[in-house]
Order: sequence, then structure tokens, then C-alpha cells
Amino acid sequence: MGLLAREIEARGVTTVALALVRELAVVVKAPRMLYLHWPFGHALGEPGKRDQQRTILHDAFSMAAAAPRPGLIVDLPYQWKRQKYTPVSDWTAKSEAFQEGLAQALKEK
Amino acid sequence: MQKHTRLTPASRLREQLARWANDTELGERTARWIARVPGVLQFHLKVKLSRQIPWTPLRRLLAEATVAIVATGGVHCCADRPFDLKTDASFRAIPRSATTEDLCISHDRYDRRDAERDLNLVFPLERLLELEVEGVIGRVAETHYGFGHTDDPQELIAPGREIADLLAAAHVDLVLLVPA
Repeated sequence: MGLLAREIEARGVTTVALALVRELAVVVKAPRMLYLHWPFGHALGEPGKRDQQRTILHDAFSMAAAAPRPGLIVDLPYQWKRQKYTPVSDWTAKSEAFQEGLAQALKEK
Repeated sequence: MQKHTRLTPASRLREQLARWANDTELGERTARWIARVPGVLQFHLKVKLSRQIPWTPLRRLLAEATVAIVATGGVHCCADRPFDLKTDASFRAIPRSATTEDLCISHDRYDRRDAERDLNLVFPLERLLELEVEGVIGRVAETHYGFGHTDDPQELIAPGREIADLLAAAHVDLVLLVPA
């Protein structure tokens, strides 16, 4: 996954990779990664939960535009099946969860 | 009537393992451990990465950008040859016109029951098409790419280059990579 992202980005196309195994994301070093502590086969969330799926896409788009340097892993705090999702009201503004995750990722070396 | 993605049959053992990993805490912990420990070790052994991470800033506003999906959850057009479940580093092109009924999943390392009910979990094409209509993104790319399970990550580099060329030639601005 991360290897594919690296090849695509090297060819001049922006990438955002979702990741479900943090340790693997750390070693693969894709240009931009969003980590979710969610079960395999559920990178976008739960079946039929449109707002949840759109929340992840919104954060992925924020990452594409806002990540200031390569190799960042932003941890998204959404809890599996214990989170309430609301419709994305403004796609041009970053979610609070994403902003906090990005700030945290920038603090780490 | 429910519309369903079709699944390439996996061995009963694989299917049960995947369900155990999905449905029980011990199963989930075990599956994570396998991904983390042997998975990371294998990556270190087999892949030599250049230190420099490639970097291409997004060159357009999202509302003008062409977006494509690259997914590794084994999604492909049912009309195409399924992925080899053991290991397969080849890819399949998936047109934006593909509907849920046109698509199959050939992958036996995760529990596919939820993805079968809603393919967006591993291949969010319907969600992207909605966002194109709403004007959130500029365009959904004509062609997207699916991969299956690959034992040796190094084998993904050559096909990765191939799809990178195809995506660049199609003037795609942003690729979303979705794992299984």
C-alpha cells in the first residue's frame, strides 16, 4: 500500500494512504498517511454509514492539501462503533479531529 | 432487492480465520500481531527503500482535482480474471462506470462480509461519485486500480510504477490508497 503510494507520488501525483496497522505505516514511509485503529476490511468504516465514510474522505482530502512535509502519519481518534458522526458541513475546512491529529504528528519527530 | 458484490470463494479455514479475527478480541489481537511483527520484519528484510520520501504537493483545489482510488482489498471487475488468493502482485483496472454488481472481491485475508454489503468500505467509488455531483471534488477519474493480497511487498514496486504512469498520463491529481 505505502509502496504503491511512493511510486505514484514519485511520478508526480499527490497521494493519501489510509492505514490500519500503525507499525507498518511507520516502516513503509508513504508520503501522507492517516491511521485508523479499526478492523481490517473497514478502512472507510461501517457498512451503510455514509456520514462516517464521508468523514474519512474529508480528512483524507484535508491531509492532501495540508500536510506540510512527507512521511507524516496522522492518527485519527475515531473509536470503532463508539463514535457519532455528523454530516460534513464544510469540505474546505479541516475537522477538529484532523487538526488535532496533524498538530500531534508535527510535534513528533 | 439487495445489490451484492460477489466474493471469490476462499477456503473454509481462511474464511473462518478471517471471521475469528473480525468477531473476537483475541482474534483481532492475533491478526494485528501477525500484521505488526512478521509483517514489519518481512518488510525490513525484503524492501530497500530510498531514504527520501517522494513528494508532490496537491497542485489544484480539491473542487478542481481529479481523484482516483487504488485499493488493495482484492476488488476487480467480475469480468476480469480474479486475483490468485495465495499471492498476486498484478493489478486490475476498474472503470468509474463499474457498479457494485459489476465488482467482485478476490482476497481471503480479511473478513469480507461487511465489504460485501457495502463495497465503499474497501473501494469508495460511490462516495466519490456523490462528491463529484456535489462539486466537492472536481472529477472522479475514468479508471481506478485494484490489487489483491501480495506476500512479497517488493513485488509491488514494478506494478506500482506501471499504475503510476497510467495515473499520471490520465492527469489524475490525487490518489486515495485504501488498504484491506
